[in-house]
Amino acid sequence: MNLTNEDLTSARLMSLLKDYRSEANTINPNHLIFLIEKESLQNAIETLYKENDIKTLFLTMVATDERQLNGKYKLHLIFLILNTDILVTFKINLDQTKPSYPAISKFLPAVEWFEREIHDMFGIVAEGIDLPPLVLHRDFPHGKYFPMRKDFEINKEVTISEVPHQFTQPHAEGMHQVAVGPIHAGIIEPGHLRFCTIGEQILEFDAQLFYTHKGIEKIVEDKTIEEGLVLAEHTCGMCSYSHSTAYCQAIESIGQINIPKRALYIRTICLELERLSNHLSDLSAICSAGGFAIASMPAAKFREKIMQLIFKLAEHRFFRGLNAIGGLSKDINDGDFEFLKKNLHALKKEFHSLEEMIIGSDTLLDRLETTGELNFTQAKNIGLVGPAARASGIDIDLRRDFRYAAYQDFILQFHIETEGDALARTKIRIKELYETLNFIPKIIDQLPSGRVKEEMPELLPFQPGIGIIESAKGSLIHWLMLDNKKKIFRWHVRSASYMNWRGVVQATKGNNIVPDAPLVNKSFNLCYACVDR
Amino acid sequence: MLNILKYCSTKNKEVNDLLLPMINASNIEDVKIELSKIELLDKNVRKALSRSILIRHLDTGSCNAEEAELLALSNPIYDVTRFGIDFTASPRHADVLTVSGPVTRHLKIAMEKTYNAMPSPKIVIALGDGACNGSIYENTYACLGKIDNFLPVNIYIPGNPPTPIQILKGLLLCKYLLNKK
Repeated sequence: MNLTNEDLTSARLMSLLKDYRSEANTINPNHLIFLIEKESLQNAIETLYKENDIKTLFLTMVATDERQLNGKYKLHLIFLILNTDILVTFKINLDQTKPSYPAISKFLPAVEWFEREIHDMFGIVAEGIDLPPLVLHRDFPHGKYFPMRKDFEINKEVTISEVPHQFTQPHAEGMHQVAVGPIHAGIIEPGHLRFCTIGEQILEFDAQLFYTHKGIEKIVEDKTIEEGLVLAEHTCGMCSYSHSTAYCQAIESIGQINIPKRALYIRTICLELERLSNHLSDLSAICSAGGFAIASMPAAKFREKIMQLIFKLAEHRFFRGLNAIGGLSKDINDGDFEFLKKNLHALKKEFHSLEEMIIGSDTLLDRLETTGELNFTQAKNIGLVGPAARASGIDIDLRRDFRYAAYQDFILQFHIETEGDALARTKIRIKELYETLNFIPKIIDQLPSGRVKEEMPELLPFQPGIGIIESAKGSLIHWLMLDNKKKIFRWHVRSASYMNWRGVVQATKGNNIVPDAPLVNKSFNLCYACVDR
Repeated sequence: MLNILKYCSTKNKEVNDLLLPMINASNIEDVKIELSKIELLDKNVRKALSRSILIRHLDTGSCNAEEAELLALSNPIYDVTRFGIDFTASPRHADVLTVSGPVTRHLKIAMEKTYNAMPSPKIVIALGDGACNGSIYENTYACLGKIDNFLPVNIYIPGNPPTPIQILKGLLLCKYLLNKK
């Protein structure tokens, strides 16, 4: 009998974590679930991170209100063991009166925002740390209403008042404050930024986000899975297809169904096209923030051409309506793919001249170099994902490290940079663009024929489903649980930007001047919509 | 781009006779116009596209697809500045306010402040389904619904999101409205 890598690792994990009660997972044997007492949580997490040969990646932390079922709140901490498909969930039961647990961010800093969000939405307290409001602004009656609890009525009217945000105030002579937003000068999403500066030098920087918080995770409760898919597509515009694919994967992982190969291949092509359009708009934004309109415009033009190709393929510029649970809602003609291939080939030459323009310009390089530096340790602590992480020397790309869509059938080149500045983030994007331009024709060449949709089997209630995608901005995770009426019980979205926003704050603080702040921001180019939800 | 010509039509029959074949033509290059009439046509098209407008964009909770499409208008393929349309950083300089997304609780105050900061006459455009009718987002504790519950809307550009061409059509309509106001 041949033992796979997964079998060996899961046996190893079972022996490492043998002190904790494991819960049998009938659906997915590669998803290990452990029930952990809140007192021994730190030990369990440290065991997972201690081993040298097991590379653990923190994915997400989800709270659920299961008081009507078993009188408990539950916390789910989900980890991925890299290079295998093994997911580890630590499940913690919390009492319904005064739910609390010892703070995790003390030893795992990446969960800080998760703890604050769970405190806002569920009133679950992380003991031992400060929990300032995150998702709900200061004028929200904190401590009175907890929107994600099941007994909170969705359309409850909450009064709105103007309560100032709290930031570090100028506290020394010569210091002053610069306030930006929430309505910005350019066409971008809302967020309030506050700089504390001395002269031009930035000393303190903080951002107040979550202006576009609409309560999507609350809206989706008690909806059917099809209705949920539409909301998943509308979580974010720029990575609309990544979100809808992650949502589909989450449900498909509950049903454990095999998606037809053609659908997987087409999904991969679409995901890569979305990466192209995202990276090109990022490049355009970086150049325009660096005052280099001469390269910003061709990049924007290039992106528009990609958008028009996407429209030809999917009949929607953001792939909406293409995905369906179990595959795709419609097939795409092979002729359309040939057209795409021909066009991408022509665009590659055009891209070469754009690259020369960006990398060959001393004025732009001068702006980008050493701007917004984020070193390896900082990036690792924050739990940075995507191109930003790869620019700081973290070798992680879930297209290689986790098995989904059709990526395991191809060999891709992955790039890392170690400088961690805005230039490194620009270079990573350029290299990935080349890789994607080469990659899409390869998928088209091997595109199998056949059906594109699989019927869904009976879906088990109260089983966690997880969808993981490496979107253009980094890994995004959808966590989903259905109730026994086949409606959505809880759906949680952790987008790439959610992890990286703390990176922007850190990177802006370090040795930068105020005019560089937009450049640092654009070198990450994060969404607000899928952070705020 | 031919749709722009529709906004150029006037009460002058002579001009309309020149425009009609161009609007209906499948390929504009096939349309032949007498050289002597070009000047008349040119004058009328210029008049219809006259009056520059400045836009202040406001995201009140959209899914950032509308922003991406609005931003695409500035790229060299659409290049709205050639029609005298441009984006401005301050609402005090703006003639037009484009609003996208259903109004969220956290942005209601900022939205009102932006609107009040604009000089009259002002035009409000609801951009995308979220702003026009609330789209798929239900009213929640944090989401207050469509924009015309809060601001007087002059033009609705529905779409999920509207394409750059659809937005451009709406913006050209603005010029017509501003001429009347």
